[in-house]
Amino acid sequence: MDTVNLLLQGFSTALTVTNLLWALFGCALGTAVGVLPGIGPATTVAMLLPITAKVDITASMIFFAGIYYGAMYGGSTTSILLNTPGETASMVTAMEGNKMAKSGRAGQALATAAIGSFVAGTIATVVVTLFAPVVADYAVKLGPPEYFLLMVLAFTTVSAVLGKSTVRGLTALFIGLAVGLVGMDQISGQPRYTGGKPEFLDGIEIVLVAVGLFAVAEVLHAVLFEGKVAETQNTLTRVHMSRRDWRRSVPAWLRGAAIGTPFGCIPAGGTEIPTFLSYATEKKLAKGEDRAEFGTRGAIEGVAGPEAANNATVTAALIPLLTLGIPTSNTTAILLGAFQNYGIQPGPQLFTASAALVWALIASLYIGNLMLLVLNLPMVGLWVKLLKIPKPQLYAGILIFATVGAYGMRQSTFDLFLLYAIGAIGVLMRRFDFPTAPVVVGMILGPLAEAQMRNALSIGEGKWSVFVERPVSVVLIVVILAVLILPRVMRRHAA
Amino acid sequence: MTSPRPNLPLEMRPDHPEPDHPSGQARWWETLVSALVFLVGAGLAVGAVDIPSEAGYGGVGANFLPWVVALALMACGAVLLWEARTGGYREMEVGPGDAGPDWRGFVWVSAGLLLNAALIERIGFILSCALAYVLAVQGLKRAFGKPHRTWVVDIATGLAIAAPVYWLFTKFLAINLPGLTAGGWI
Repeated sequence: MDTVNLLLQGFSTALTVTNLLWALFGCALGTAVGVLPGIGPATTVAMLLPITAKVDITASMIFFAGIYYGAMYGGSTTSILLNTPGETASMVTAMEGNKMAKSGRAGQALATAAIGSFVAGTIATVVVTLFAPVVADYAVKLGPPEYFLLMVLAFTTVSAVLGKSTVRGLTALFIGLAVGLVGMDQISGQPRYTGGKPEFLDGIEIVLVAVGLFAVAEVLHAVLFEGKVAETQNTLTRVHMSRRDWRRSVPAWLRGAAIGTPFGCIPAGGTEIPTFLSYATEKKLAKGEDRAEFGTRGAIEGVAGPEAANNATVTAALIPLLTLGIPTSNTTAILLGAFQNYGIQPGPQLFTASAALVWALIASLYIGNLMLLVLNLPMVGLWVKLLKIPKPQLYAGILIFATVGAYGMRQSTFDLFLLYAIGAIGVLMRRFDFPTAPVVVGMILGPLAEAQMRNALSIGEGKWSVFVERPVSVVLIVVILAVLILPRVMRRHAA
Repeated sequence: MTSPRPNLPLEMRPDHPEPDHPSGQARWWETLVSALVFLVGAGLAVGAVDIPSEAGYGGVGANFLPWVVALALMACGAVLLWEARTGGYREMEVGPGDAGPDWRGFVWVSAGLLLNAALIERIGFILSCALAYVLAVQGLKRAFGKPHRTWVVDIATGLAIAAPVYWLFTKFLAINLPGLTAGGWI
């Protein structure tokens, strides 16, 4: 009952006119950046981080959360209508969605994606409501050794498991950790890698790395390599689902939510595995005529399931973020950075120390999902118009916003030069297929993990055995080894 | 979980399947990138020498993680170097643009970004960002093979984006961005 009361209080905060407007603004902006190629939720939240200096924390977190899951709705629109999916999360949607659109069923694909996102997002939000407080209660009992190992788990999955090449993932992770090292050591106050420059004492701003790696690198990559890529757009048809479409979609949504939610809950991250799993499940379960549509005319289950799984994962990923303070994707890492800008460290104490904020945020997830359903179903035609913006103007415009984010944080032109350098590094990473999420997660989580590790060692009086002396930490070590080994075994089996 | 590629519809597959032996140029670039990773690691190691190791109660001090990161990056660099020299990076997603990079457009966009950094505090956010926009859009239009004798439109568009952005962020969100005049509207 306690949860219900807290949630109702959350609704009373989230339903004020100002906060509703922030949520609406966030959802609309999120949908827009999800639709637009070249700019995603991580970049957008990063560019807007300077507003944390002035806007109240509840309002800005509601706003950022709206961008975060709004982009998932928008992303599916682009992947169904364009032949170049923007983000990996919508890649699976693109497989069947594109086929459906080609055979004149774009409207049905968009409808099942939007409604499925709503259904799965809401189910996952219920899970967040029910389980996040339980996890937080439990997480309070964890000590530095367990926290450190949880963070190692996040590092392992983000870098070594999710990408295609382990060595490139690890390289990206250690580059992120290296960036996180710059500045004053949290425990001893010792400056590290500052080169005597006062600009580096506070560390390298998250905004710079995120905007440089995503926005600036994207523009530079586009001008260098994308000029000759031909793009085709499918025509939008009426957004409407027949009775048969419903009958095929509903079970797929529910299965997608069931697959996606647990994946979001664990501090492992990535939407690739749950969306692919959902796709494989739907393909396996389909029979007869429906089965024949897979890969030919486009099967509606193949859009409904993965889209639902995607949204469920993304929403449930808020559990490890809020209760453990562990981000597992670019965007959640930057959301963690936003909390830090307010001097708040997400973790088990968040649910007691900032209860009002947390519950307003959770309430806003329910509201946001509803807003997004309205924004994306009747109004989908409006967002599709965004795809008409010519690429040169779009990319050049992104640079103006990048400047706001990079300069607005510290008012330093030094940062703008640094931004360009990071953008150039980002192009190299992109060209040679190094993942970016490990860099961002490593940079933000690295200093926290280091502090936990050194605290743990202090508790153990300098002995490393402190990491294997408690049952939970032993379990975590086993899990870390399992995520390193199991996917490889599974991959071999599947192949 | 196999790699996603076999499932991709035809139009999403790269036009040219991954070559078994990447071209000499690609190999050269991969070698360079690997060497850079190694050098960053080595540079971090050199820097780590100067960080005091005083550990207090914990077994490790401020120099522990720097050493771990430095050695790990050197190891990653070495493995990458080996991959680059023995048939190229493994499991690479081939990006677009096999025709080779468009350096001309790159110079335009770079000029826009760097001039923006150099000028923003002298001529103010609006003018500086509009300039960056114009240079970037010109470079991009050339790279995308679009008509680019559109200076007047580009300048107008740049100003039309930069000015409202400046007002929105400085007036409503109270973020400090440099202006040209004291009034804060330009």
